Amino acid sequence: MVNKFIPKSLKEALLILDQHDCYIMAGGTDLMVMKHRSSGLLPNFDKDVIYISNLEELNYIKKEDNKIIIGATTKYIDILNCSLIPQLLKEIIIEIASPSLRNMATLVGNIGNASPAGDSLVGLYLLDAEVELTSLRGTRMMPINDFIYGVRRIHREPDELITAVVIPCHDFTFTKWKKVGSRKAETISKITFAGAYTIKNKIITDLRLAFGSVSITVVRRLELEAKYVGLSVDELQSKIPDIIEDYGKFITPISDQRSTKDYRYKVAINIAKDFLTHIE
Amino acid sequence: MEKIKLIINHQPMELEVDPSERLLDVLRKELHMMGTKEGCGEGSCGACTVLVDGVSYASCLTPIANVIGKEVLTIDGFNKTEQYRVIADAFSELGASQCGFCTPGMIMSTYALFLKNPHPTEEEVRLALSGNLCRCTGYNAIIKAVLLAAEEGKERGIKW
Repeated sequence: MVNKFIPKSLKEALLILDQHDCYIMAGGTDLMVMKHRSSGLLPNFDKDVIYISNLEELNYIKKEDNKIIIGATTKYIDILNCSLIPQLLKEIIIEIASPSLRNMATLVGNIGNASPAGDSLVGLYLLDAEVELTSLRGTRMMPINDFIYGVRRIHREPDELITAVVIPCHDFTFTKWKKVGSRKAETISKITFAGAYTIKNKIITDLRLAFGSVSITVVRRLELEAKYVGLSVDELQSKIPDIIEDYGKFITPISDQRSTKDYRYKVAINIAKDFLTHIE
Repeated sequence: MEKIKLIINHQPMELEVDPSERLLDVLRKELHMMGTKEGCGEGSCGACTVLVDGVSYASCLTPIANVIGKEVLTIDGFNKTEQYRVIADAFSELGASQCGFCTPGMIMSTYALFLKNPHPTEEEVRLALSGNLCRCTGYNAIIKAVLLAAEEGKERGIKW
């Protein structure tokens, strides 16, 4: 018999997590699919469950020190409707699932789920997002690319709750989002790509590429970005074959029911090429 | 176990159910409100769409714990209203319902759209219904019916 906890405050939730190893249920749009049996039967939870969706304390979006902070129970729909949110993230969210699911699901849930096909993660990696973890022991921050270390693998201790995601504000010249799926809505991505750059006096001062669904986690390579920053726009154009070759080594997709590794590799490369050739 | 309190189709309820019970199963199994349908059971088809505090939810992915203290409206409550009649009449008139299995979900998504936007463009209708699958009509009849319902609603002075 597993326990089901419905805390009424963050404090109560942390006290429960201190004593019990739980599945953390926010919107339920991933967990309820994963644990679903058949109609009429209870979902099959093999350990305790804590329901946090109604914790209003964690339902907020605010801006502090040039960073956007989004609480754990804030739903996609409220993020979409908030003027503080960067355009790139909005473009990503409007293509996630469907209106109903965006009314239910949370951005922080997408982080906790840590699927290689989690669309929002690609944007969060690109924007240098950090994850806020809270327990009775205190609060700590972790960059998202360290926090997620494998397929559905995250550095959350059992007594911790992801309480927020923190997104630094940027002033890019241009950002791009591309999702490839079987249909427009309700589709799990075959390949996703987010790109951003900043140009000052015809010099590339910031260049970022992030790929989703092509490896066990989002692919973003800081060492490659550093290698090509500082070039002029013309120099960068002549380096595109090198950039593509560099990134190709990290694009290591698999074949599954949604797509094949060859298709994913080819399309990921083509999208990156298209992004780079349009830098001007 | 603590009772789960919420409002379903305007009725305050106290239910003795497991917190992880799907809202869909509570509706169909416990309350015998059979209008809400189960299609895929994984949030991809929209047949189980209901309104929670005025916005659409997939009831197949909603643990009942998530709607404690909230107001749930299903097709079995909505179908007694004038607003329902306007949408349903438009659906019948334009052949937007064939086998009918997706129709309760389509109608609830349409109502959710009208609550926010009573005069949508075709593009807005397509986006609002993008989570509702229909295997019969090919969608165009449904989109036209929603646009017709919006027009009718305006003509009859319906308050959504």
